[in-house]
Amino acid sequence: MGWLLGSSSTLSQVSCLHTSPELNSKHWERRNLIVYPPQQKDEPRRPAEIHHCRRQIKYSKDKMWYLAKLIRGMTIDQALTQLEFNDKKGAKIVKEVLLEAQDMAVKNHNVEYKSNLYIAESFSGKGKYLKRIRYHGRGMFGIMDKVHCHYFVKLVEGVPPKVEQKTGFDQAKEYVEQLRNRTIIHSL
Amino acid sequence: MSLSGLLQFVGRSLQRLELSLWQAAGFDRFGPALAVNGPGILPQSHHSSDDENAQPSFLDSIFWMAAPKKRRTIEVNRCRRRNPNKLIEVKYNIEPCPECGNMKLKHTLCGFCYEKVRKETAIIRKQISIMEGGPLNTPAVESVVLYENETPSDADKGKRIVERNRKRPYWFNM
Repeated sequence: MGWLLGSSSTLSQVSCLHTSPELNSKHWERRNLIVYPPQQKDEPRRPAEIHHCRRQIKYSKDKMWYLAKLIRGMTIDQALTQLEFNDKKGAKIVKEVLLEAQDMAVKNHNVEYKSNLYIAESFSGKGKYLKRIRYHGRGMFGIMDKVHCHYFVKLVEGVPPKVEQKTGFDQAKEYVEQLRNRTIIHSL
Repeated sequence: MSLSGLLQFVGRSLQRLELSLWQAAGFDRFGPALAVNGPGILPQSHHSSDDENAQPSFLDSIFWMAAPKKRRTIEVNRCRRRNPNKLIEVKYNIEPCPECGNMKLKHTLCGFCYEKVRKETAIIRKQISIMEGGPLNTPAVESVVLYENETPSDADKGKRIVERNRKRPYWFNM
């Protein structure tokens, strides 16, 4: 996989082309395969990133989104406890995915402490739907979709970054500032 | 619900259909049975007025059905779906179990500890069912569970003894 070298300074034209020969690899899984060049001594340590996903889960993407939104930005332990005591069907699946990702992190991605991970990104996507017939009265029918979804998660090593809680007053102040900064363009 | 309104509309349209067929067959003009000098058919004024009244009610039923006027934009949909009252709340009543260390809810038994007790109880119950042989054979005495190297004490005089061939679990104090 030499062609998948990720470099912050130079971006080769070849890396933009779709050159993957395998049929099974999709974008999210391929993100685990990028290899960075060795860091210099003065550079800050690059935290380990683990991308994991599960495809074609028999669940709705909208319902899965609520679980993904719940665990965004939490430490992995906190996320696992919250999911353990959640009653939704997707909670069990997301918990399995997180445990798999934690295992992968320790074994393959050189993460020292399995608790030193936080959820940087977590979201759900639409999978391939199966179509079935739903019978109505008077010979009418509707097409029923058997919904499936994908779930993606990115774990990063380290302490989760603190998100600034914006109050309503701050947001209103920003809005008023935006309005005040408007100017008339192409004027004298 | 729209389904009941639809059914009512369907019912009413069927009634109207039946009425129109009845009229077409000519069975609605009930005049006197014997021959009478005069107009053969009764005046149909009430019938025509009834027909006019039927028309507005037919149109009214369409207007009565509620339907969305405009498509809800994705921005509006997102505001409704992502409203904080619809998001899942973070639970703060989770604490570690003092016995096994797994997490548990404050007001609930620890799931892990409960599961381990449940498994042992299932084995004891199976043994009891083997001892009894069939349903409704429970003896009218108490039962006591004895593990390996345990003899029944004086308090267990008249009780039924259930044997288990393992050492007593630390959590089963008797």
